[in-house]
Amino acid sequence: MDRGKLHRLLEKLNDYRGVIALVVVFVLGIIFSPRALDTGLPIFLSWQTQLAILYEYSEYGLLATGMTLVILTGGIDLSVGSVLGLSAVLFSLLTIGYGWGVAPAIGAVLLTGLACGLVNGSLIARFKMQPFVATLAMMTAARGAAKLIAGGIKVQPGGQPWYAMQEGTPPFFLWMTSALPGIGVQPSTLIFLFCILVMAALVRYTSYGRWLYAIGGNEEAARLSGIRVGAVKVLTYALCSMFAAMAGVLNACRQDLGDTEAGMTYELDAIAAVVIGGTSLMGGRGGMMFTLIGVLIMAYINKILSLNAVELAPRMVIQGIIITIAVLIQQKRGRSS
Amino acid sequence: MKRIALALAFAALVVCAGCGKKQQQTGQVTEAPGKKKWVIGMSQCNLGEPWRVQMNKDIEEAAKQHADEIEVIFKDAQNKTEVQQAQVREFIQMGVDLIIISPKEARPLTKPVAEAYQKGIPVIVLDRKVEGDQYTCFIGADNVKIGREAGKYLVKLLGGKGKVVELKGLMTSTPGQERHKGFMEGIAGSQIEIIFDADCQWLEPIAQREMQSALARFPQIDAVYAHNDPSAHGAYLAARQEGKGREKSIKFIGIDALPHEGQRYVKEGILTATFEYPTGGKEAIETALKILKGEQVPKNITLGTRIYTKENVEQGGEPL
Repeated sequence: MDRGKLHRLLEKLNDYRGVIALVVVFVLGIIFSPRALDTGLPIFLSWQTQLAILYEYSEYGLLATGMTLVILTGGIDLSVGSVLGLSAVLFSLLTIGYGWGVAPAIGAVLLTGLACGLVNGSLIARFKMQPFVATLAMMTAARGAAKLIAGGIKVQPGGQPWYAMQEGTPPFFLWMTSALPGIGVQPSTLIFLFCILVMAALVRYTSYGRWLYAIGGNEEAARLSGIRVGAVKVLTYALCSMFAAMAGVLNACRQDLGDTEAGMTYELDAIAAVVIGGTSLMGGRGGMMFTLIGVLIMAYINKILSLNAVELAPRMVIQGIIITIAVLIQQKRGRSS
Repeated sequence: MKRIALALAFAALVVCAGCGKKQQQTGQVTEAPGKKKWVIGMSQCNLGEPWRVQMNKDIEEAAKQHADEIEVIFKDAQNKTEVQQAQVREFIQMGVDLIIISPKEARPLTKPVAEAYQKGIPVIVLDRKVEGDQYTCFIGADNVKIGREAGKYLVKLLGGKGKVVELKGLMTSTPGQERHKGFMEGIAGSQIEIIFDADCQWLEPIAQREMQSALARFPQIDAVYAHNDPSAHGAYLAARQEGKGREKSIKFIGIDALPHEGQRYVKEGILTATFEYPTGGKEAIETALKILKGEQVPKNITLGTRIYTKENVEQGGEPL
């Protein structure tokens, strides 16, 4: 094999760095997995555990899906965790408190998410605020709004005497979190997978996707080539907030209540997942499937540590180290190309 | 808009100050202690936690019983030590008759509390201590005792033998350490075995995730001991969402017993039992009245706990 061929092969492998990392983590998972007491097989490998991992990370996954779009344009959205919290509270309040049907409640929640995203997008595109600052303001405001409408309590049946539902669990909450007969997957998981796959196709095969990369690569050049940069940005932040709102619905169903603290610091996990996948924080490089890999890597690491009942302090150190390594790998790629 | 709000706030302040003065004057003139209204300043470290919301509610309700004698001003330090320090000093400047404080942290608040105490303002410290002895009275619950009662109850419930998952609170915090220590004392000598434990930092979503790992690893789990009710609830949800119906066979036990959390979960059959971690709000007002009327109060008041089970939850639990 001559040098050129080898070089090309290495370059090809370079593109699949994320996949390789995922495989490594997966193998580590099998090695360090405790064995089931009844069958003696590694628990990590079981179908049940794999599904549980996807299910537990579906909220982070939805946030990371939206975050990827924003980061591709070179922006950042710090408000997703708070929008998730606001949506979880609002959804619980509408269904449990006011007795709304599920469809109008989800509609209202998504509209609220859309509104948050439009505010973010307009502040950034029209009023030229830095994404960090604009979404930081939204992060504070949305968390406050969640506490306001909840009235300082967790929204759950019987929380207030006037709530339409005084006990039990809304059937929709149960349905979302129970495995569907036959395939054994929770609807929450399916929603996440559906969203990220659709967005992956959108980013890859439509002009909208190409615009994202163009803006993230060189905003001025994108503008000069006729892309309506402002409109694309507003749409992107709107999409991001709507995914966060959907994650809020999932959160309410999973927790069986609307918690005003829900989603606290989730924005950081979402950003970490995107970065670990290999999408550049500088914008213009990366992709949706990278993010799926990033989410899986984070979820696997968490599950391995959790299955082994590793204590909190070392666990946090290990997570920090892994994020650092991922970023280092990303920097290396930046220099080589 | 902002200006109007500022102006309104300023006007309100002026009116309040005026009222305060008038009351003091009438009090001095008539010298009828029964008619004078005492002003109590209450500084809460963080109203983001439901348990602390309940504490304020308990204080408010107890104060309502004595509305002709006292008036309480509530302040929320929003989990910031420096804000709480300022609040204590504001109360001193206002010249309140008594201060109730539930401190965020012992050390940084020791000095402001001592300042008030030395100026002759009685201070009641609630739940978390300050250092030294420059305060009037400390009211708090005993987490070791609560943990021990939970352990003893579990021994009885499982017939002295079984496999238990412990979902801990933040283990760098004193309540987490004490609830664990007490529990170990409670189950000492029995054949109860802790097969899995995790630091869930008091948070329900984390407890839910950790419980899933425990369920994946162990085909037989008899009970879950969680350091707070939301964690116990999270564990229950993990068992339910596993889809094997194990939420019916596992006994879930929590701590805190807030009306809208633990007590409700017990009523619905989600938790087998929950142990009250009393807020001390009612006791604080009762003690405050004694102090203001010149009676002697002990320096340390340790609150008891109550157990809530399906049988007694409607009657308001049972003291232990």
